[in-house]
Amino acid sequence: MPADIGELHLFVIYAWWFALGFSLLLYIMLDGADLGAGVFSLFVRDPDERGGIMAAMAGTWDANETWLVVAGGVLFGTFPLVYGSAFHYLMLPLIIVLWSIMMRAIALEFRHHSERSAHLWDGLFGVASLTTLFFAGMAMGAVLEGYPLTEGNVPTYAGGMFRFISPFSLWTGVGAVVAASLAGSLFIRARFERTEAIRRHAARWVDRSFYASLVAVVVTVVWSLLKFPWAADKWLGPYFWVWGLVALAVVYAVVRMRRSSRHGRDLFAILWLNAAIAIMWLAMMFTMLPWLVPNTWTIYDAASPSVSLVTFTMAMGGFLPVMLIYNWYQIWVFRARISKLTGYGHH
Amino acid sequence: MESATAIMLSRLDFAWVASMHFLYPPLTIGLALLLFLAEWRWLRTDDDTWYRLTRFFEKLFIINFGAGVATGVTMEMAFGILYGPFSQAAGPYFGNVLGYETITAFMYEAGFIGLMIFGWGKISRRMHLFSTFNVMLSSTLSAFWIMNANSWMQTPTGVELRDGIFHVTDWGAAIFNPNFLPSFAHMWVAAVELALFVVIGVSAWYLLKKRHEDMFSRPLAYALVAAALVAPLQVYLGDDLGQVVAEHQPAALAAMEGHYHTYAPDGSVNTGWHIVAWPDDAAGENRWALTIPHALSLIETHTWNGKVPGLDQTPKANRPPVWIPFYGFRVMLAIGFFLVLVAFWGVWMVYTRRLFSAGGRARRWFLRTAVFSAFLPFLAIWTGWWTREVARQPWLVDGMMRIEQGVSRMTVAEAAIWLVGFIIFELVVWFFTWYFMAKVIRQGPDLEAPVLRGGDDAIGHLESQPGADDARPAYERP
Repeated sequence: MPADIGELHLFVIYAWWFALGFSLLLYIMLDGADLGAGVFSLFVRDPDERGGIMAAMAGTWDANETWLVVAGGVLFGTFPLVYGSAFHYLMLPLIIVLWSIMMRAIALEFRHHSERSAHLWDGLFGVASLTTLFFAGMAMGAVLEGYPLTEGNVPTYAGGMFRFISPFSLWTGVGAVVAASLAGSLFIRARFERTEAIRRHAARWVDRSFYASLVAVVVTVVWSLLKFPWAADKWLGPYFWVWGLVALAVVYAVVRMRRSSRHGRDLFAILWLNAAIAIMWLAMMFTMLPWLVPNTWTIYDAASPSVSLVTFTMAMGGFLPVMLIYNWYQIWVFRARISKLTGYGHH
Repeated sequence: MESATAIMLSRLDFAWVASMHFLYPPLTIGLALLLFLAEWRWLRTDDDTWYRLTRFFEKLFIINFGAGVATGVTMEMAFGILYGPFSQAAGPYFGNVLGYETITAFMYEAGFIGLMIFGWGKISRRMHLFSTFNVMLSSTLSAFWIMNANSWMQTPTGVELRDGIFHVTDWGAAIFNPNFLPSFAHMWVAAVELALFVVIGVSAWYLLKKRHEDMFSRPLAYALVAAALVAPLQVYLGDDLGQVVAEHQPAALAAMEGHYHTYAPDGSVNTGWHIVAWPDDAAGENRWALTIPHALSLIETHTWNGKVPGLDQTPKANRPPVWIPFYGFRVMLAIGFFLVLVAFWGVWMVYTRRLFSAGGRARRWFLRTAVFSAFLPFLAIWTGWWTREVARQPWLVDGMMRIEQGVSRMTVAEAAIWLVGFIIFELVVWFFTWYFMAKVIRQGPDLEAPVLRGGDDAIGHLESQPGADDARPAYERP
């Protein structure tokens, strides 16, 4: 940690680091379910049901996706050195994620204007959801592995465009798809009328993807422990009992989620799943400290020299709560369960 | 690795992505305002025609908005990918401003657009109007920040370059840089003008086809009167912006005007304004030109014989290329004046009641012109931006950072993959946007659907229904 950073400045850097993690977490929680529902829709035969899945997120997908853009904005504004270099390193996966997100948005927007081309948009929606998840997960894993930098005042990425591909990043890509399938099937269970057949279909998915996610999480944690010294040092260090408690909290949330979903309390199942995700996400952020990109950028070196308490307070104190309020209000307005025939046509 | 081709390609990549994105937001911004006004009239008069019009134009708005979001997310990432070094260096100011744009505008808009589109009948009429108002305000805010970021690149004040990073020394000076307010006004009014002419074009098309004539003559008349005010205002604002460019970016202005020589060969001030010309950058002069004497100094300095610095005042290495700014500027100007004429013609047609009387060749020709005019503002906005951006060359941040310092070091293959991928991609988006808009317009407004007054439909239920398949838990401990 550099010596010339004042205490106040340090506080602001931490606060922004937390805001960045928070926006990404919200994105994963909110859009993860939408993306997972998209993957699920690939396995749905009935076109009305597929339309229903898209209608289920019609009022909220756009706001959910916006958290990713907010995270991008925070990264650009606060940690421009990471933004410029990491995006260059992750160029290929991010381009594919972008194309997928765009295609998905278009499919969602255009489907209800279409008659003959509906199946095209359905397929596009599903495939784009899948590729978004896989490559975003891959990018995530690639960031954990770090990347080489050039020398100089403003270090940039030094390496080729395929460097992000590794066994670990391929695995995190798969893991993202698996975990999102769980969130997506829970979302569908919560969004459809209780008499709809699709809910039974989704219930089978909840079971399968639940065990798959469990395996995925355990493998990822063990792999990280063996692969990343910075993680092993933290987890097996003097505070190992804190990390143990964190793991117990995750297990508790998962058990509660399982119970809620079996009892048909769909909303609680989603909330418990999100609690588990949030605990794991925060644990990951704290495991990475002081790195923002492990072995590449510490949060002190990457922070913009212009971050000031004023701008932070303005943005986070003023806008974030407001954003949360209308995000919540929107979800509240569109909370009603739908039937597959509701579709798009009747808004 | 590093070659001129790769740099050229990644610049083309960005130009393409930015140009294709910019087909959508201006219409979103302008149409949101018009939708708000129409819905507000509906609340005030309780006249269902306003409701039908709002719902109809809202459909166009949605298609356009979706395309705008999809291409806009790409823009945010494109800075980091194609202009990595620039993003790192300018991050402290430029990145912050884009961050504000996402937080204060983009997120704000996303929060209310869902309510605006899907909230009909679910929330009260007032709440819905409030949502529409917020969509309008947030899209304007987004224009505010984006224009701010770009105008700072034109006139970078309030920062200093230390160790390769732009440090913000004065937030106020940076935000209110000299280029900002005139260019923001010019852009926002452009968006309103575009939306007005789209509404005029669509309404005129219905009148030509003799469909829904009563319904669409109303927005046509209103929009024509508004356009007659907005179009001349836009020309004035453009001139205003030109003054600022002349003051702060003399080389950019000289490129826009194809103005190579400050003085004529006989030593007098060169005041000629070229209508058309054949600029030759290598030779540093126009091979031939059609010139109006004194017009340039009239336009730029508002005097008969004012001195306007030519490109010969700038070293060759710092001169922008002339072709694109020169012709881009002229196309924009021509469209601007043409739209003023169309708007005045329209107001005269409204005033003399010729617009609503049946038949008549003059009316038919006017309506055809009006339909044609709906496409012109798109072209004007494009050419305006190309002028603005190319005239700043070779600088990325005017006078502080050159293009080749800010562009990512990509290989030719990387840049080519981008370009090919995004060409296909944006064309697909563009094609379907127009395809569905055309479809919505062909179908016409829905006159059958019940008017949703809001609040009287059930919002739904959260409790489980008895008798449903899983009202009982699937698993109970024995």
